[in-house]
Amino acid sequence: MNDNRIVERLNRCFEYVQSQDIRIMEVCGTHTRVISKSGIRYLIPKEVMLLSGPGCPVCVTPETYIDMALEILNLEDVILVTFGDMIKVKGTCFSLSDKQAQGSKVTVVYSPEDALTIAAKNKDKLIIFLAVGFETTAPLIAVTVKLSNERGLDNLVFLTALKRMEPAIRFILQDERSKVNAMICPGHVASIKGADHFRFITEEFGIPAVVCGFESQDIAAGICVMLEQLTGKGHIEFVNLYKRCVSFSGNTIAQCMINEVFAIADGAWRGIGIIRNSALVLNDKYEHLDAVKRFGIKIERYSSPVNCLCSEILLGLKLPYQCSLFGSVCTPEHPSGPCMVSSEGACAAHFRYGGDRKNG
Amino acid sequence: MDEKIKLSHGDGGSDTQRLIKNVFYKYFNDSIPNAMPDSFVFEVGQGKHAYTTDSFVVKPLFFRGGNIGKLAVCGTINDLVTAGAIPLFLSVGFVIEEGFSTEKLHIIAKSMRDVCKQTGAKIVTGDTKVVERGSADGIFINTSGIGLVSELYNSRRAVPGDEIIITGGIAEHGTSILIDRYELGIKTELESDCTPMCCLVNGLGENLKHVKQMKDPTRGGLATALNEIALEQGVDVELNEQSVPVKSEVHGISDILGIDPLYLACEGRMLIVVEKGCGEKVLHHIKALDYCDEAQIIGRFTSGHLGIVYMKTFIGGKSIIPMLEGQMLPRIC
Repeated sequence: MNDNRIVERLNRCFEYVQSQDIRIMEVCGTHTRVISKSGIRYLIPKEVMLLSGPGCPVCVTPETYIDMALEILNLEDVILVTFGDMIKVKGTCFSLSDKQAQGSKVTVVYSPEDALTIAAKNKDKLIIFLAVGFETTAPLIAVTVKLSNERGLDNLVFLTALKRMEPAIRFILQDERSKVNAMICPGHVASIKGADHFRFITEEFGIPAVVCGFESQDIAAGICVMLEQLTGKGHIEFVNLYKRCVSFSGNTIAQCMINEVFAIADGAWRGIGIIRNSALVLNDKYEHLDAVKRFGIKIERYSSPVNCLCSEILLGLKLPYQCSLFGSVCTPEHPSGPCMVSSEGACAAHFRYGGDRKNG
Repeated sequence: MDEKIKLSHGDGGSDTQRLIKNVFYKYFNDSIPNAMPDSFVFEVGQGKHAYTTDSFVVKPLFFRGGNIGKLAVCGTINDLVTAGAIPLFLSVGFVIEEGFSTEKLHIIAKSMRDVCKQTGAKIVTGDTKVVERGSADGIFINTSGIGLVSELYNSRRAVPGDEIIITGGIAEHGTSILIDRYELGIKTELESDCTPMCCLVNGLGENLKHVKQMKDPTRGGLATALNEIALEQGVDVELNEQSVPVKSEVHGISDILGIDPLYLACEGRMLIVVEKGCGEKVLHHIKALDYCDEAQIIGRFTSGHLGIVYMKTFIGGKSIIPMLEGQMLPRIC
């Protein structure tokens, strides 16, 4: 469908919406960014709110995790290997980039497998890989863990903060305050776990849900489908609009990799707290590669900071501009809360690309 | 055998003289025939002159489509072009890390010579320092340049209705650097756009009169350059997403990394502000110039006076395009 036809169809939906408040949530950082950058909010009436849930893995990584990484960096002969956008995230007081400026060795990689090369080249050093992400990243990290074990690289360990998306979505939908009417499912996670993984949203909670791609017209099409369902122009059902990348059963090889290396555990989400069964941790076979176990680090009980609205924003209860720190104290250059850190965070996307305040 | 640079190459003694003679004079001798002057002497003559300097610390030093030497000469020449100047004389200062390969130094110096030959600019003075291992990252280069400003070019403020042209596809330098820096292992013919843009001053003829401003969108890319122009002028800019030339490889690679091509550097492109109503005419002439066949009118100044850049998106939405904030980092997935 070309852009004009999508916009026409979107406009027709708005005639049906009238004064009904509709809250559509997406839970994928890339969707957050594309919605803001493409100016979709500019095209929709104020009754339709597009909310950004906890879809940015960097944003939901707790402060205590960064604190642990910083503590490890105090050791001698350590190289910390990380995805790029982690280095700006503040722990309780400092970020990895603060530590880097003080001379600590922090290396940014794009692929987790780069950690294997770094470990092989630096046998006299201890390499710590910050294993952060959702089920999209988890298979690549699983491969890295497996290969590291097979190659006997005992100088490479993993500090994990991997998350599962499904328990987080359940957590939000079970919170009566959130009043989410429809859900744009995370396309990247769906490509691994399969579209069917998200069918529960419609079946258990009775709201429209679509799996959609990442072009602006993909997202607009997803919004159209859900608005048509919500305004009685179609019946409520689960729809996969991203069939070019997402099958109903997903990538079974990648799923096997996850199952082979990780076990499910309770996970701490920055700004939200503990969500049951929402984390992936190294299983018994690979626990000797777990940095927490290797160093005997004590994990403090997670308590969420109270100085910003990130928690409510991630749950869809508040919009970024409703936070008093937004854009003044808290900016992408000096983020206070997690949602401002990565370009995919809800606050950062709002800050960068603007958006109609009435519409969120 | 590839001889390595030693600290003694920067001491000013015989090793230094040998290095200058064997490497720099070999390539730059068109400009400095038989002497080693501490200063180059020239007559200023008539007309206005532009003078600029820039330092180059790019990593990796060698990238697809160029190297730090080519970049250092193109960068300074293009800064002169933004003032409507034809480059005349350049200086070059090398800060070299102990242990650096002289073979690489030859390649770097040769590519600097090649750009000079192409543009008529002359490297007329220079300096070499060698620092201890670990005190620099291979090699840093500073260049400065003096150019003669064309009488046809009259820089002036932009007003609502003025049109904005970009001379070619954006983000090709930035993307090429990212492929090499993150060793993405992507097979692509994409190269840095690193090019001297003197043709704009030499080749536009009388049409240069319609040009109000020029800016090279280097660090921070097109978005940052447009924001700087909008803020300086206090006039809003409307960018048309559909018109911005972006190669599909650039789209694909920046998408993989989660980086917006609007913020990735160009090193051989120019943003040109043209008088209202003259956009198409000037564009026609620009497209005939070297490296400019993909030039496009990408936006215009609007009646707002907040100095904001916003974009009309593919889908018909509007979004603000802010200045680059902080360091650009590849995202997680």
